[in-house]
Amino acid sequence: MRLEKCWFCSSTIYPGHGIQFVRNDAKIFRFCRSKCHKNFKMKRNPRKVKWTKAYRRVHGKDMTQDSTFEFERKRNRPERYDRNLAENVLKAIPKIDKIRVSREERHHKNRMKGKKEKLLKEAVKELEQGISLVKAPSVLQQDPSLTLPKIKVKVSQQQSEENHAMEE
Amino acid sequence: MGGKCPHRNVKKRRYSHKTARRTKFELKGDDMVYAQLNKPDEERAPLPLDEDLPGMGQYYCLHCDRYFSNVAVRDEHFKTKRHKKRIKQMMGPAPHTQLDADVAAGMGMPDNGPKLMSM
Repeated sequence: MRLEKCWFCSSTIYPGHGIQFVRNDAKIFRFCRSKCHKNFKMKRNPRKVKWTKAYRRVHGKDMTQDSTFEFERKRNRPERYDRNLAENVLKAIPKIDKIRVSREERHHKNRMKGKKEKLLKEAVKELEQGISLVKAPSVLQQDPSLTLPKIKVKVSQQQSEENHAMEE
Repeated sequence: MGGKCPHRNVKKRRYSHKTARRTKFELKGDDMVYAQLNKPDEERAPLPLDEDLPGMGQYYCLHCDRYFSNVAVRDEHFKTKRHKKRIKQMMGPAPHTQLDADVAAGMGMPDNGPKLMSM
Protein backbone atom coordinates (compact mmCIF):
# COMPACT_ATOMS: atom_id res chain seq x y z
CA MET A 1 0.00 0.00 0.00
CA ARG A 2 2.71 2.44 -0.91
CA LEU A 3 1.72 5.64 -2.70
CA GLU A 4 4.04 6.42 -5.59
CA LYS A 5 4.46 9.49 -7.76
CA CYS A 6 3.93 9.52 -11.49
CA TRP A 7 7.15 9.79 -13.47
CA PHE A 8 5.67 12.34 -15.85
CA CYS A 9 3.22 14.59 -14.02
CA SER A 10 4.19 13.87 -10.37
CA SER A 11 0.65 13.01 -9.34
CA THR A 12 0.06 10.46 -6.62
CA ILE A 13 -0.58 6.93 -7.87
CA TYR A 14 -2.93 5.03 -5.61
CA PRO A 15 -2.92 1.23 -5.49
CA GLY A 16 -4.79 -0.33 -8.37
CA HIS A 17 -4.26 2.65 -10.66
CA GLY A 18 -1.89 3.51 -13.44
CA ILE A 19 0.65 1.47 -15.31
CA GLN A 20 4.31 0.64 -14.75
CA PHE A 21 7.11 0.22 -17.29
CA VAL A 22 10.30 -1.58 -16.32
CA ARG A 23 13.13 -0.95 -18.74
CA ASN A 24 15.73 -3.59 -19.42
CA ASP A 25 18.24 -1.80 -17.21
CA ALA A 26 15.73 -2.33 -14.36
CA LYS A 27 14.73 1.31 -14.15
CA ILE A 28 11.05 1.72 -13.27
CA PHE A 29 8.72 4.31 -14.78
CA ARG A 30 5.31 4.69 -13.16
CA PHE A 31 2.43 6.53 -14.79
CA CYS A 32 -0.82 7.64 -13.22
CA ARG A 33 -2.88 7.84 -16.40
CA SER A 34 -2.85 6.87 -20.02
CA LYS A 35 -2.23 10.55 -20.74
CA CYS A 36 1.14 10.46 -19.02
CA HIS A 37 2.04 7.10 -20.49
CA LYS A 38 1.33 8.33 -24.02
CA ASN A 39 3.37 11.46 -23.47
CA PHE A 40 6.24 9.31 -22.25
CA LYS A 41 6.04 7.09 -25.31
CA MET A 42 6.17 10.19 -27.49
CA LYS A 43 9.45 11.03 -25.72
CA ARG A 44 8.25 14.32 -24.35
CA ASN A 45 10.23 16.11 -21.69
CA PRO A 46 8.14 16.72 -18.53
CA ARG A 47 10.03 19.93 -17.88
CA LYS A 48 8.66 21.38 -21.12
CA VAL A 49 5.02 20.33 -20.76
CA LYS A 50 3.15 23.05 -18.94
CA TRP A 51 0.67 20.95 -16.97
CA THR A 52 3.30 18.94 -15.09
CA LYS A 53 4.67 19.63 -11.66
CA ALA A 54 8.22 19.48 -13.00
CA TYR A 55 7.50 22.40 -15.32
CA ARG A 56 5.88 24.38 -12.55
CA ARG A 57 8.84 23.78 -10.28
CA VAL A 58 11.40 24.82 -12.88
CA HIS A 59 9.49 27.99 -13.75
CA GLY A 60 8.90 29.05 -10.18
CA LYS A 61 5.13 28.62 -10.17
CA ASP A 62 5.10 26.28 -7.20
CA MET A 63 6.86 26.45 -3.88
CA THR A 64 10.13 24.55 -4.06
CA GLN A 65 12.07 25.11 -0.84
CA ASP A 66 10.25 24.49 2.41
CA SER A 67 10.86 22.54 5.59
CA THR A 68 7.46 20.86 5.39
CA PHE A 69 8.68 18.90 2.37
CA GLU A 70 11.16 17.06 4.56
CA PHE A 71 8.41 15.26 6.44
CA GLU A 72 7.25 13.39 3.35
CA ARG A 73 10.05 11.34 1.88
CA LYS A 74 10.92 7.85 0.85
CA ARG A 75 12.48 6.07 3.79
CA ASN A 76 14.69 3.22 2.68
CA ARG A 77 15.61 2.12 6.19
CA PRO A 78 12.85 0.75 8.41
CA GLU A 79 12.46 2.25 11.87
CA ARG A 80 11.81 0.24 14.99
CA TYR A 81 8.16 0.62 15.96
CA ASP A 82 7.48 2.95 18.86
CA ARG A 83 3.86 3.37 19.89
CA ASN A 84 4.23 6.84 21.42
CA LEU A 85 6.16 8.11 18.43
CA ALA A 86 3.58 6.70 16.01
CA GLU A 87 0.74 8.38 17.89
CA ASN A 88 2.55 11.71 17.92
CA VAL A 89 3.26 11.48 14.22
CA LEU A 90 -0.35 10.69 13.38
CA LYS A 91 -1.43 13.65 15.49
CA ALA A 92 1.05 15.97 13.79
CA ILE A 93 0.16 15.08 10.19
CA PRO A 94 -2.93 17.36 9.84
CA LYS A 95 -1.07 20.22 11.49
CA ILE A 96 1.83 19.92 9.05
CA ASP A 97 -0.58 19.74 6.14
CA LYS A 98 -2.33 22.92 7.27
CA ILE A 99 1.00 24.73 7.54
CA ARG A 100 2.02 23.60 4.09
CA VAL A 101 -1.26 24.73 2.54
CA SER A 102 -1.03 28.17 4.14
CA ARG A 103 2.55 28.59 2.93
CA GLU A 104 1.61 27.62 -0.59
CA GLU A 105 -1.18 30.19 -0.55
CA ARG A 106 1.26 32.82 0.63
CA HIS A 107 3.65 31.88 -2.17
CA HIS A 108 0.85 32.22 -4.70
CA LYS A 109 -0.15 35.61 -3.29
CA ASN A 110 3.42 36.85 -3.55
CA ARG A 111 3.63 35.63 -7.11
CA MET A 112 0.42 37.53 -7.99
CA LYS A 113 1.49 40.72 -6.25
CA GLY A 114 2.22 42.78 -9.35
CA LYS A 115 -0.73 41.50 -11.34
CA LYS A 116 -3.29 44.22 -10.51
CA GLU A 117 -0.83 46.96 -11.35
CA LYS A 118 0.01 45.21 -14.61
CA LEU A 119 -3.66 44.90 -15.57
CA LEU A 120 -4.26 48.58 -14.81
CA LYS A 121 -1.34 49.61 -16.98
CA GLU A 122 -2.62 47.47 -19.83
CA ALA A 123 -6.09 48.99 -19.51
CA VAL A 124 -4.70 52.52 -19.66
CA LYS A 125 -2.69 51.68 -22.74
CA GLU A 126 -5.68 50.12 -24.46
CA LEU A 127 -7.79 53.19 -23.67
CA GLU A 128 -5.22 55.52 -25.15
CA GLN A 129 -4.94 53.47 -28.31
CA GLY A 130 -8.65 52.93 -28.85
CA ILE A 131 -10.14 56.25 -27.75
CA SER A 132 -11.01 57.16 -31.35
CA LEU A 133 -13.53 54.33 -31.49
CA VAL A 134 -15.69 55.80 -28.73
CA LYS A 135 -18.57 58.17 -29.70
CA ALA A 136 -20.69 60.30 -27.35
CA PRO A 137 -24.46 59.63 -27.13
CA SER A 138 -25.30 63.16 -28.32
CA VAL A 139 -23.44 62.50 -31.56
CA LEU A 140 -25.55 59.41 -32.12
CA GLN A 141 -28.71 61.50 -31.94
CA GLN A 142 -27.53 64.22 -34.31
CA ASP A 143 -26.30 61.92 -37.04
CA PRO A 144 -29.06 59.53 -38.12
CA SER A 145 -26.71 57.39 -40.19
CA LEU A 146 -25.17 56.04 -36.98
CA THR A 147 -28.51 54.80 -35.72
CA LEU A 148 -30.80 52.25 -37.27
CA PRO A 149 -34.22 53.64 -38.20
CA LYS A 150 -37.19 52.64 -36.06
CA ILE A 151 -39.67 50.38 -37.81
CA LYS A 152 -43.28 50.10 -36.72
CA VAL A 153 -44.92 46.72 -37.01
CA LYS A 154 -48.68 46.26 -36.84
CA VAL A 155 -49.90 43.53 -34.51
CA SER A 156 -52.78 41.44 -35.84
CA GLN A 157 -55.97 41.16 -33.79
CA GLN A 158 -56.47 37.45 -34.39
CA GLN A 159 -54.74 36.53 -31.13
CA SER A 160 -57.72 37.59 -29.03
CA GLU A 161 -60.02 35.34 -31.04
CA GLU A 162 -57.64 32.44 -30.60
CA ASN A 163 -57.52 33.03 -26.89
CA HIS A 164 -61.29 33.07 -26.79
CA ALA A 165 -61.36 29.76 -28.61
CA MET A 166 -58.86 28.30 -26.18
CA GLU A 167 -61.03 29.20 -23.23
CA GLU A 168 -63.88 27.15 -24.60
CA MET B 1 -11.44 4.70 -59.91
CA GLY B 2 -9.04 6.97 -58.03
CA GLY B 3 -10.92 6.83 -54.73
CA LYS B 4 -9.36 6.21 -51.37
CA CYS B 5 -8.83 2.59 -50.54
CA PRO B 6 -10.67 1.84 -47.26
CA HIS B 7 -8.09 -0.65 -46.06
CA ARG B 8 -5.00 1.46 -46.47
CA ASN B 9 -4.02 3.63 -43.53
CA VAL B 10 -1.54 6.36 -44.34
CA LYS B 11 -0.49 6.77 -40.74
CA LYS B 12 0.29 3.11 -40.33
CA ARG B 13 2.18 3.03 -43.59
CA ARG B 14 4.15 6.14 -42.68
CA TYR B 15 5.19 4.88 -39.26
CA SER B 16 5.99 1.32 -40.21
CA HIS B 17 9.32 2.05 -41.81
CA LYS B 18 12.59 1.10 -40.23
CA THR B 19 13.88 4.42 -38.96
CA ALA B 20 10.71 5.42 -37.16
CA ARG B 21 10.34 2.10 -35.38
CA ARG B 22 13.99 2.06 -34.37
CA THR B 23 13.83 5.59 -33.04
CA LYS B 24 10.78 4.77 -31.01
CA PHE B 25 11.54 1.36 -29.57
CA GLU B 26 15.18 0.40 -29.76
CA LEU B 27 17.23 3.43 -28.82
CA LYS B 28 18.74 3.81 -25.39
CA GLY B 29 16.98 6.21 -23.09
CA ASP B 30 18.40 9.68 -22.66
CA ASP B 31 19.31 9.08 -19.05
CA MET B 32 21.29 5.94 -19.93
CA VAL B 33 23.26 7.82 -22.57
CA TYR B 34 23.79 10.70 -20.18
CA ALA B 35 25.09 8.37 -17.47
CA GLN B 36 27.47 6.71 -19.92
CA LEU B 37 28.83 10.04 -21.09
CA ASN B 38 29.44 11.32 -17.58
CA LYS B 39 31.28 8.23 -16.49
CA PRO B 40 35.00 8.88 -15.87
CA ASP B 41 37.42 7.57 -18.47
CA GLU B 42 38.90 4.86 -16.25
CA GLU B 43 35.57 3.09 -15.89
CA ARG B 44 34.82 3.06 -19.59
CA ALA B 45 35.36 -0.46 -20.81
CA PRO B 46 36.52 -1.10 -24.38
CA LEU B 47 33.76 -2.17 -26.72
CA PRO B 48 33.33 -5.95 -26.73
CA LEU B 49 33.72 -7.86 -29.97
CA ASP B 50 30.38 -8.93 -31.34
CA GLU B 51 30.02 -10.70 -34.65
CA ASP B 52 26.33 -9.89 -34.88
CA LEU B 53 26.98 -6.16 -35.06
CA PRO B 54 28.35 -4.26 -38.05
CA GLY B 55 32.09 -3.74 -37.84
CA MET B 56 32.34 -6.25 -34.97
CA GLY B 57 30.77 -3.60 -32.76
CA GLN B 58 33.94 -1.50 -32.65
CA TYR B 59 32.69 1.66 -34.36
CA TYR B 60 29.98 2.98 -32.09
CA CYS B 61 28.34 6.36 -31.58
CA LEU B 62 27.27 6.65 -27.97
CA HIS B 63 25.18 9.77 -28.40
CA CYS B 64 22.99 8.22 -31.08
CA ASP B 65 23.39 4.59 -29.98
CA ARG B 66 24.40 3.34 -33.43
CA TYR B 67 27.02 0.93 -34.73
CA PHE B 68 28.93 1.50 -37.97
CA SER B 69 30.88 -0.78 -40.25
CA ASN B 70 34.12 1.20 -40.32
CA VAL B 71 35.81 4.40 -39.22
CA ALA B 72 35.00 6.33 -42.38
CA VAL B 73 31.27 5.77 -42.12
CA ARG B 74 31.27 6.65 -38.45
CA ASP B 75 33.21 9.85 -39.04
CA GLU B 76 30.75 10.72 -41.78
CA HIS B 77 27.96 10.22 -39.25
CA PHE B 78 29.64 12.64 -36.87
CA LYS B 79 29.04 15.42 -39.40
CA THR B 80 25.30 14.90 -39.64
CA LYS B 81 22.84 17.38 -38.21
CA ARG B 82 21.05 14.77 -36.14
CA HIS B 83 24.25 13.78 -34.37
CA LYS B 84 25.13 17.39 -33.62
CA LYS B 85 21.66 17.90 -32.23
CA ARG B 86 22.14 14.91 -29.94
CA ILE B 87 25.50 16.25 -28.75
CA LYS B 88 23.94 19.57 -27.91
CA GLN B 89 21.10 17.85 -26.10
CA MET B 90 23.45 15.71 -24.03
CA MET B 91 25.51 18.74 -23.04
CA GLY B 92 22.40 20.36 -21.62
CA PRO B 93 20.76 19.68 -18.25
CA ALA B 94 20.43 16.19 -16.86
CA PRO B 95 17.41 14.23 -18.08
CA HIS B 96 14.28 13.86 -16.01
CA THR B 97 14.27 11.13 -13.38
CA GLN B 98 11.87 9.71 -10.82
CA LEU B 99 13.73 11.67 -8.16
CA ASP B 100 12.93 14.90 -10.01
CA ALA B 101 9.29 13.86 -10.16
CA ASP B 102 9.23 13.14 -6.42
CA VAL B 103 10.87 16.43 -5.52
CA ALA B 104 8.47 18.34 -7.77
CA ALA B 105 5.53 16.64 -6.07
CA GLY B 106 6.63 18.03 -2.72
CA MET B 107 8.62 15.15 -1.27
CA GLY B 108 12.03 15.55 0.30
CA MET B 109 15.16 13.69 -0.65
CA PRO B 110 15.02 9.98 0.14
CA ASP B 111 16.22 8.91 3.56
CA ASN B 112 18.68 6.06 3.20
CA GLY B 113 19.36 5.89 6.91
CA PRO B 114 22.73 5.79 8.62
CA LYS B 115 25.64 3.99 7.03
CA LEU B 116 25.90 0.50 8.42
CA MET B 117 29.13 -0.42 10.12
CA SER B 118 31.24 -2.67 7.97
CA MET B 119 32.10 -6.13 9.25
